Amino acid sequence: MIELRRFSASLGGEKVLHDVSFAAGPGAFVAVCGPNGAGKTTFLRALAGLLPGAARPNPRHVAYLEQGARCAWGLRIAEVAALGRIPHGDTNSEAIAQALAQCGVAHLADRRIDEVSGGQARRAMLARAFATSPRVLLLDEPVADLDPAASHEILGVLRDFAHGGGLVVAVLHAVELCAEYASRMVVFEAGRIVADDAPLAALPVAARCFGMEWVGGRLVRK
Amino acid sequence: MVSLNLCSDQLLVLLAPEQVRALDFLARDPELSFVAAQAAHLPVVRADAEAVLNLHPDLVIAGRYGAQTTVSLLRARGLHVVQLDEPQDFDGIEKLVAQVADLLGVPQRGSALVAKMQARLAALSPSNGAPHPRGRAVFYEAGGWTAGPGSLADAALHAAGWQNAGTGGRMGLEKLLAEKPDLLVSDTAPSKPSMAQNLAWHPALHGLARKTVPPALLICGGPFSVAAAEILSH
Amino acid sequence: MKFLLPALGALIILSLLVGAAGLGVPDWLILWQIRTPRTALAVLVGAGLGLSGAVLQGALRNPLADPGLLGIGGCAALGAIIVFYWGISIQMPAALPAGAMLGAAGGCAVLLALSARALSGPSLILAGVALSALASAFIALALSLAPNPFALAEITFWLMGGLEDRTLLQLAVAAPPIAAGCILLLSLGRRLDALSLGEATAATLGFPVARTLVLASLGVTLAVGAGAAVAGGIGFVGLVVPHLLRPFTGQRPGAVLLPSLAGGAALLLAADLLARAAPLLLPLAGEPRLGVLTALLGAPFLVRIARRAIP
Repeated sequence: MIELRRFSASLGGEKVLHDVSFAAGPGAFVAVCGPNGAGKTTFLRALAGLLPGAARPNPRHVAYLEQGARCAWGLRIAEVAALGRIPHGDTNSEAIAQALAQCGVAHLADRRIDEVSGGQARRAMLARAFATSPRVLLLDEPVADLDPAASHEILGVLRDFAHGGGLVVAVLHAVELCAEYASRMVVFEAGRIVADDAPLAALPVAARCFGMEWVGGRLVRK
Repeated sequence: MVSLNLCSDQLLVLLAPEQVRALDFLARDPELSFVAAQAAHLPVVRADAEAVLNLHPDLVIAGRYGAQTTVSLLRARGLHVVQLDEPQDFDGIEKLVAQVADLLGVPQRGSALVAKMQARLAALSPSNGAPHPRGRAVFYEAGGWTAGPGSLADAALHAAGWQNAGTGGRMGLEKLLAEKPDLLVSDTAPSKPSMAQNLAWHPALHGLARKTVPPALLICGGPFSVAAAEILSH
Repeated sequence: MKFLLPALGALIILSLLVGAAGLGVPDWLILWQIRTPRTALAVLVGAGLGLSGAVLQGALRNPLADPGLLGIGGCAALGAIIVFYWGISIQMPAALPAGAMLGAAGGCAVLLALSARALSGPSLILAGVALSALASAFIALALSLAPNPFALAEITFWLMGGLEDRTLLQLAVAAPPIAAGCILLLSLGRRLDALSLGEATAATLGFPVARTLVLASLGVTLAVGAGAAVAGGIGFVGLVVPHLLRPFTGQRPGAVLLPSLAGGAALLLAADLLARAAPLLLPLAGEPRLGVLTALLGAPFLVRIARRAIP
């Protein structure tokens, strides 16, 4: 269960989130969409408890993956995933192995994260989030660096996670993917939620935010 | 007369204090200067050509080293500057006192000081019954430097009947302890903190027989230096 | 990886047997009053420096971090110099490491304030350069105003670092803060691991970066501050040791902490042995300063690392 009540945030004097309210429970895959600068990342950071005034969730239950997250050192991928166990204070190798497998990087476990491709590194970072065995995944652009096949793979894993009772809140730029995988879609524009509904209902609103239209299952220019 | 150097200061004050126009600042430091008490009432000046010129002295006395640029500037302006060497033994002290006394026009005072010094030196010689040589001594100076042969401290040691085991170079603590000197001589403990002078007070040296000599007696060679030999011979 | 411990043990034994008085077991007085404090301090100061470097690199996510390079060592030296020359440590020997630690703490605070947002970039190193320059300027000022007119002359050797002729009292006074600092720094392993993933992730894992930086600063202040009070200016150990050990320990920041402690101790002890051996091998030479030896090793290292870091 994750929620925000009438939450506002400012960055450098400018208001980025205006009185945003949001709540979600287990078993949902919530996609967060909207134009650049609409406040999606700030929203996710608020959910993760990183902004002043936001409640801090339990690190054992909520795992957060920031946008463009990079590992500062050349850790081995298995080590990166193992960092996800920190909130539990253990080295549950089963959970780690499962996380690596889920993200499709089990075969790279002994490779250094700075010596694999960008997409593989992104998946390794995702594996870290999975390794926590969380109930909630807060992911900022989890498939940004991935090719279409890999994107589908990961989104499929996230959908399965949601079906299994977990909650996923993910910022996704590829609006078409939202339609296919998400069970709920939240659209941001200028710091406010302008749509919060099933994807098919929210997509036209999202399209308009981009200055486009949702026609026949695709984004189309006007 | 203006003196720009601690050593010439002291001779000036001992021989002709009434002729002093200005002394160097260090003359007033009781840890460095034997005549600190008198110098406290005498004018001082920094070794600065302008300041010295302002005083219109008849004569400027300085050391051979140090304040070189000041000295050359003063000479260029026509002042008479005499540079003194530093004596390394009691003979040298005698010659220096005579030289300065002549310069100042008070030769009798010079001979009087020399005569007193010679008398005190003679009192230290073997004829008064003390065993010579008394043993090996090391004069352990700031930073672990030892007084070597041909230095004033060496002369004082010999006058007091000691054999100088120092080499004139740096001697670390371990080497010093390995030498097992019969006497360790150091400067009296300074009142101001000094890392270099702390070395002589290292706990490892506590077991050695020790005498201390006020540094003011030996930094400059003068008639007062014989007091160092007297301390060392008791 | 723990061939380090036997190596350290061998160096300690060697250190007790080598000195100006000759090779082999010396007089009890020399062994206890001179060689023991020197050996023990080399181990402690080196351990503190190595570990501090490893923690700073992890906490700042910057492979060039080192307490000397970042100016913290210089600030510690400034504190020690003021306390020493104004006679505060004559009555209270413990005031010397306290003053150095105060200096180091001030340095940490200024460093963090100067580099605020950009800890992992070259601007941190720039902030360190600025802080070093500031500390040097104040040191020169303090020395020129010191009651002892020869302070400026005699301090040069001390600033270049060295452990010769240290006393048991100095050991007794420096050991507790260095030990405390090392214990604190060693406890930061998990935090530093979490920090590899970025500030935001580390915060969500339960380790907000501000707290990590404060704890790291505190540990470095204790270990490096007290070390500088007794050994003067020794740099580069914290830079070089973690880099030398990472190929063996792996890149995880927490994994390189304990090895860096042992490695720093071994490195400084080896350098000190080299310093002692120099006059025995080349009779006309004096003992080279410890800080000079570590700089001779560390500066080329820094050049090598920097070349790789500069695109």
